[in-house]
Amino acid sequence: MSKAGSMQPRERRLSLLVTVLAFALPVIFVLVPLAIFLVYSFFSVDQGTIVYAPTLGNYVRFFTDPIFLPVFWNTIVLCVSVAVICILLAYPAAYFLTTLRGRWRYALLMLLLVPLLMSYVIKIYAIRSILGLNGFLNKALVAIGILQQPSTLFVFNMNAILLTLSLLLIPFAILPIFLSLERIPQTLLRASDDLGASGLQTFLRITLPLSLPGVASAASFVFVLAIGDFLTPQMVGGISGFTFGRILYSQFGTAYNWPFGAALSVALAIVVICAILIGERFGRSRGTSV
Amino acid sequence: MNALPRPSTIFLAAITTLVAVLLYSPLFVPIVSSFFTISHGDVDWSSPTLSTYRALAENHDILAALRTTLIVGLCTVVLSVVSGTLLALYYHGRRSGRSILQFIIFLPFLMPPIISGLALLIFFREIGLERSLLTVVIGHTVFVLAIVYRTVLMRLQSMSRTLVEASYDLGATGWQTFWRIILPNLSSAMVGGAILAFALSFDETMITILVTGTQSTLPVRLWAMMRLGFSPDINALVALILMFTVLLCVLAARFLIPRQMATERS
Repeated sequence: MSKAGSMQPRERRLSLLVTVLAFALPVIFVLVPLAIFLVYSFFSVDQGTIVYAPTLGNYVRFFTDPIFLPVFWNTIVLCVSVAVICILLAYPAAYFLTTLRGRWRYALLMLLLVPLLMSYVIKIYAIRSILGLNGFLNKALVAIGILQQPSTLFVFNMNAILLTLSLLLIPFAILPIFLSLERIPQTLLRASDDLGASGLQTFLRITLPLSLPGVASAASFVFVLAIGDFLTPQMVGGISGFTFGRILYSQFGTAYNWPFGAALSVALAIVVICAILIGERFGRSRGTSV
Repeated sequence: MNALPRPSTIFLAAITTLVAVLLYSPLFVPIVSSFFTISHGDVDWSSPTLSTYRALAENHDILAALRTTLIVGLCTVVLSVVSGTLLALYYHGRRSGRSILQFIIFLPFLMPPIISGLALLIFFREIGLERSLLTVVIGHTVFVLAIVYRTVLMRLQSMSRTLVEASYDLGATGWQTFWRIILPNLSSAMVGGAILAFALSFDETMITILVTGTQSTLPVRLWAMMRLGFSPDINALVALILMFTVLLCVLAARFLIPRQMATERS
């Protein structure tokens, strides 16, 4: 306070004005909408109009209705599976990148990240056509002899959502794993080699533990992106592939129950915040000690 | 990493190739079908054609959506670069309440877009703002602000303090220092941030679907068409967009990759 007191009044007023201006935009367009949204979750709907009286009804409905909790749980399992698939594919690829030298390393990294910037909607559509009855996947499986005839196993169900999301989100897993692998000091690996460890031992005892923070960040990235997506399930999920995002979205469309949708969003936000915090926790604890 | 035996390297290379194929095959499908006709899942390689591109030039619906997307993208870039840079300067100036401010800026980027989008949808309704391109631009700006802010802030933090001090020592005023020293040093980060912001805005679908009015942007238009299946000219459009996006990536990389890495390479 004493420091502020020594300022000129004009300067102090200017400083206050700058602070207010800096906060205005983020507060008005981010914080206020989210706050209103949260408040909405305590309202209810009566015959198509919103009743502005506080109630816990939406949350009670979410926990007691036999529909919502199972879908919620299944969606979480689905998104964890997506994260696992992405990491299983991304880890070897990221590891391979770090074995390359100089320019090749970054060129290949770029190559694997560029698909991220390509139209999301188009990719979903293309993947659906690949997975479909006349799609490439079925043709390949029949040609190899794994399938007798084309199967509808890969489209318009949960499998389709799982495969499509994994395909879309792999780059988000590659980057954090690559960064954590790249940060491992080469001297550690050489020391391990000098001490007589085999390649596998060095990997299991040095590289893998030190790269786990990257794996944790990758998992939380992929999980958060997967659980927030409602386009992919809508497009490839068909009737059986019902996810939480779809239910949420339908509350603002066909079901027309905004307050209930807001309550579902709060549930979604809590899961997302937990995932981010877990990712942060494990992504940092070892990362800083190196 | 030389300690690895050969078979494991081959295994890693194989997985990497598989990942690359998986990532690129969805992009390959529309490009191939923009030049060849596909019926019942079989590509007719014998007769390449440009007819899809000609059909595209006559598809006014899609071209209008493309124009809308570009307008929204440019407005978003201007708004997000100006406010993102100002916020980064504010943060860097070590004023009060910084960490809260930063947290708020990052919120829409951390939260799933469906939550940001729905929150804005309800907000616009409560303040009586009709859904239009304005609401789409606001939604996009809120979404991409974190990226521009972060890019500019990182450059600010890596900028040597001695530059600013030297400017003051030589008698420059605060404004002169800002215009002649700080801003020129930030410009490439701002351009890089602008390109990223444009690329994100160009492809933003989930927030847009929720806050858009009657005019739809290209991804939303494509999303609406997808239920019925695409006409072949959409493939031509996709091929063009992919090329355009690659160009944007190369540009963004040029502005964002640190200088010493670029010199190291040459």
